[in-house]
Amino acid sequence: MDGYNSSLPGSQIRLPICPNNSYCCIICCFFVLICVNLGKERTEVSKARWVEEIGMAQVIEKKGSLWVTTGVIRNGNLYCHIEEIGYLAQIGALVLLDEVDNVMGLKDIFTKCADRRYGCTWEFFEAYRHLKSLGYIVGRHGQPWSTKHDNLKPNSDFTADTGFIADRIEELQIGAANLMFDIHRPNSKFKKTDPGAPSFIICLVGDWPPRREEVEYLEEKCKLVPLKFCHVNHGDVRFFSFPKVSLPVLP
Amino acid sequence: MELSGPRWKGKNYAQIANSNPMSEIIAQLQVCLSNSESAALPIGTDFLLETEPELTDLFNCTSFGRQLKTSNGSKGYFQLSPEETFYLHHYLNCLKVLINNANLINVNDLWNFMRSRNELFPIYYRAYMHLRSKNWVVKSGTNNGVDYVVYRHHPELVHSEYAVIVDWEKESGEKEGGRLRVWSDLHCAVRACNGVAKAVLLLNVMGYEVKFSLPELLERMTVGERQITRWLPSQCRDDCKLDNDVEADDIDVASDKNVINHTTRYWVVPLQTQTQPEIGEEDSDYAPSMSL
Repeated sequence: MDGYNSSLPGSQIRLPICPNNSYCCIICCFFVLICVNLGKERTEVSKARWVEEIGMAQVIEKKGSLWVTTGVIRNGNLYCHIEEIGYLAQIGALVLLDEVDNVMGLKDIFTKCADRRYGCTWEFFEAYRHLKSLGYIVGRHGQPWSTKHDNLKPNSDFTADTGFIADRIEELQIGAANLMFDIHRPNSKFKKTDPGAPSFIICLVGDWPPRREEVEYLEEKCKLVPLKFCHVNHGDVRFFSFPKVSLPVLP
Repeated sequence: MELSGPRWKGKNYAQIANSNPMSEIIAQLQVCLSNSESAALPIGTDFLLETEPELTDLFNCTSFGRQLKTSNGSKGYFQLSPEETFYLHHYLNCLKVLINNANLINVNDLWNFMRSRNELFPIYYRAYMHLRSKNWVVKSGTNNGVDYVVYRHHPELVHSEYAVIVDWEKESGEKEGGRLRVWSDLHCAVRACNGVAKAVLLLNVMGYEVKFSLPELLERMTVGERQITRWLPSQCRDDCKLDNDVEADDIDVASDKNVINHTTRYWVVPLQTQTQPEIGEEDSDYAPSMSL
């Protein structure tokens, strides 16, 4: 497959290589539809290498200004989570290499997005993609955008991150409501070294709407940061708030 | 959380409402009804009250019950819900209730009577009382697929702001009500209510026990209020009410030939002696009740 379908609008778009090389692949068809709708061919394409040990990719070629609000800095190096990789790969802004520098196709990337081992689920990725495409600054809840360590040791920078991922994996398996994202509104002055408090926190909800005590428990964990609940159903991403109110006593 | 503001139905209606606080009109109703010989009688699941002209006007101004269409111009006939009946009898202490055309019933017997007809009555009454005691006008929410709709003042003057869903849980914290159990319940409620420019208000009645007497009900059951809003990230706002959506209220008013426009009668010249209402006229927001 040359990634070109003249029957679709925007037929000039060049698509990343699909290892399946066939129109029969559902992932490829999905990608074609989305990529066409997303717009023009990108000239600035970054590269990242997947590091299985930490469940993240290290950015090895950084292009464009999108990295101001994407990826986390660990001791001077830039890394990104699988949902970030999935989004950037989908819009053609990133090529992901495996540990021996083979290009990883979208099918493999999407499969990793859905693989809970990396602290992500498919629904989590869909919510991330939805918010990111609207310009929000989206980070994993409670995870710093930037950290530094004085003494370099292999993988020592990631101890906290791998522990965080392990906790998140456990939460994802329980299937209850989980605090997933810290969101900052679109902001040209955003700095990873000093991001400030998030504008709100997104909680990804499971199969059932949250109960009152669940909402109160999660609000307590968020402290004063507003909390929004996200429900993803077959690609439809919706957000709800359940703020406490008090109807005034009228005259 | 900042609450949504009221949408008045006409120019200066806010001033009319401010000049006629609902609490004061209700106080007049209390005096008039206490002095009246009228007593409410059970009809079906509701209660019927026959009223003299002054009481008719006060019932309409305070928006208790639904006035039935009749050809009898000298008397008014109001159909009251169980919550309204009990609120007038218990909280406002002004309505007499007659059961089986016999003796006037006292508050505890009426409480037991209400509970015998509907085991959920204590929950809905607690929610109704919570809202009415704050001087919000509370009406049936059937039209919007919810339990109640609440108005900041008379429905003729202002659109309802909230569509109310009542949920409840036991004193142990065990969930009982089961409202909004699945996601489609939530989506449906928000979509339906936002489409008619009403915010969804979830009233959670807590501490309910079947065995509660009336005093225990008042002491131990509490009511929590939460709004359910849909956040639209594409517009970076919470969508309490959608703009430019057609008001179902307006459609109902326009197509309902039995709607009374109370504005001239009750609000431009509030609470003075009125002419007799014409046949086929009643509150807006409601479908016409049975005619003779």
